[in-house]
Amino acid sequence: MNRILALAEKEFLQIRRDRVLPRLIVLLPSLMLLLFGYAINFTLKHIPLALHDAAQDRISQALLAALGEEERFRLAYTAQTPEEVVEAVDRGRARVGLVVPPGALERVRRGESVALEVYVDGTDPNFAFQAQAALRRAIQEVNARIQVGRALAGEAVLPPLSPSLHTLYNPENKTAWFMIPGIIGLVLTMFTVLLTALSIVREVESRMMESLLASPLRPHEMVLGKVLPYLVIAFGVALLVLALGHWVFGVPVRGSLALLLLAMFLFVLGSLAAGVLISTLARTQVQAVFGTYAYAFPTIFLSGFVFPIDGMPRFFQFLSYLVPARYLIEVLRGVMLKGVGLGVLWPHLLALALFSALVLFLASARFQRQVAV
Amino acid sequence: MVHAEEVTRSFGGVKALDRVSLFVGSGEVFGLLGPNGAGKTTLVRILSGVLRPDGGRAWVAGLEVGKEPEGVKARIGYATQEASVYRDLTVEENLLFRARLYRPKEARALVEEILSRFGLQPYARSLAGHLSGGWRQRLALAQAVVHRPEVLFLDEPTTGLDPLSRRRIWDLIHQEAARGAAVLVTTHYMDEAERCHRLALLYGGRVLATGTPQELKALAQARARFLFVPGGSLEAVAALPGVLEAWPSGEGVRLIAKKDAPLGEGFQEVAPSLEDVFALLTREAP
Repeated sequence: MNRILALAEKEFLQIRRDRVLPRLIVLLPSLMLLLFGYAINFTLKHIPLALHDAAQDRISQALLAALGEEERFRLAYTAQTPEEVVEAVDRGRARVGLVVPPGALERVRRGESVALEVYVDGTDPNFAFQAQAALRRAIQEVNARIQVGRALAGEAVLPPLSPSLHTLYNPENKTAWFMIPGIIGLVLTMFTVLLTALSIVREVESRMMESLLASPLRPHEMVLGKVLPYLVIAFGVALLVLALGHWVFGVPVRGSLALLLLAMFLFVLGSLAAGVLISTLARTQVQAVFGTYAYAFPTIFLSGFVFPIDGMPRFFQFLSYLVPARYLIEVLRGVMLKGVGLGVLWPHLLALALFSALVLFLASARFQRQVAV
Repeated sequence: MVHAEEVTRSFGGVKALDRVSLFVGSGEVFGLLGPNGAGKTTLVRILSGVLRPDGGRAWVAGLEVGKEPEGVKARIGYATQEASVYRDLTVEENLLFRARLYRPKEARALVEEILSRFGLQPYARSLAGHLSGGWRQRLALAQAVVHRPEVLFLDEPTTGLDPLSRRRIWDLIHQEAARGAAVLVTTHYMDEAERCHRLALLYGGRVLATGTPQELKALAQARARFLFVPGGSLEAVAALPGVLEAWPSGEGVRLIAKKDAPLGEGFQEVAPSLEDVFALLTREAP
């Protein structure tokens, strides 16, 4: 125990003495959080719109008003001809073009349908999807109003199906709420795996390992002493991100904090072991960095951190079951946003525990073998 | 006390150590002399419990290395070939870390004691990376002995140092022996070998000879003649029958010749250096 502490303290001293690392450890996750929370917004607002309004009547005005509601669209360009609308989208002045044909009001009065021409910039499918949805909502709102007016006049009936939507957990679609659990997962992965792998490889690279091997330090003490400081740091950083998310972005923690910490602990344990495992495979610090990337990339793409798992092809959905961060993020989102408990989340926690046990076993087996030449 | 008996180790078919036996007593500075690749480091690694031998047995500080490597590790000090210190830690922090690995309770006192004994006090709070080569080597030695080990392994402790720094390091090594430690030093410097109580000549993984520097020289003198020809020509001397080796030296030629070499006048007998001994013995080695 004394020896583990001696090694851990030495490690802490070295981190503290590093000019850049301590600042990086605190700044990087905070910046990531602010970036994802403020700058990157998956909920579209103020979509620039190019409009050619040949009708200039109450219908087109109602439509324009509906489009402007909830800051969905802003009128970026008023076109004189329908061709100019497409041109404006081509030139990037607007991303959505709308042509209202002449005589809209008359057509509506006659009970005919008004054919609106809509052009959506489809270069980014995600954008196109959201822009279409926003357009549809605005048009539906105008339709509904017209129909209500007609129903009152006894002219028509209301549409037979009308949805009443309840968006659960994150009703305002705040991106930060969705991202923060993922950022915690990413930060925990990067910090634990990378820093652990680097600190062990550095010891080998600087030939210090040899003299540590000749000391009374046992292999498991060496691993524990090396890993302990990063366990503390990773946990501290995760709590920092959690606190920032809570106070700055108002991300709730609706479920049990203890459950949250348990999941984080299981995950960090496994990640630290993964770092040790990488260190036994890498001979230089550069190799360790690339090894960590190889480990972290699936975490970013397959964990559901940004990209929804449901949207992936079958094969990748299956692969994502092998990515431990997936389970952590499920638990984090479950506890923070949904407020569900162990009864719902136990399969994910079990998966995390199995992952940690497996990687710990592999890491210690490989480390032991490497040490006992 | 170090006792190796027929220690053997191969790396991928190449014999790094071939039935090496030696004994180092308490208070003795024992030199392991040999060129690079002779197997010096391999032997030290086996004796310190870091590497397992393929065959043979070894006892260090009364414990069998193969059976109780952990016990051995707690009783030895090991300074590796490169001055292995943490450059981003201060001298004091380096020493304290080492001391805590061995004797956590007395660590503070041990560090104070070693700082003053090694004259490192003025540098206690300097980063190890800022020390000059000589002082860094001194720190490496200090951290190998901070816990007062019974047995000390030093792998080329003076490599790359200037003569003055080397002298100081050797004074400190003898200090440790005087304290009662058994010290095993590897080196490829012949002049350093002279400073050891006893020596083993290691060549190609085998011990060619063991003894005090004087004994080794006497052994060589019994087998060959060590001579000097003032003003002789190297080609002429080397071509003489019975001459084993010849090389220019100052105003003449030094040579090693067989005992029965029929040499004429003008050859002066000289005392062999350890280098001469080494040259002779490696020639005879298969």
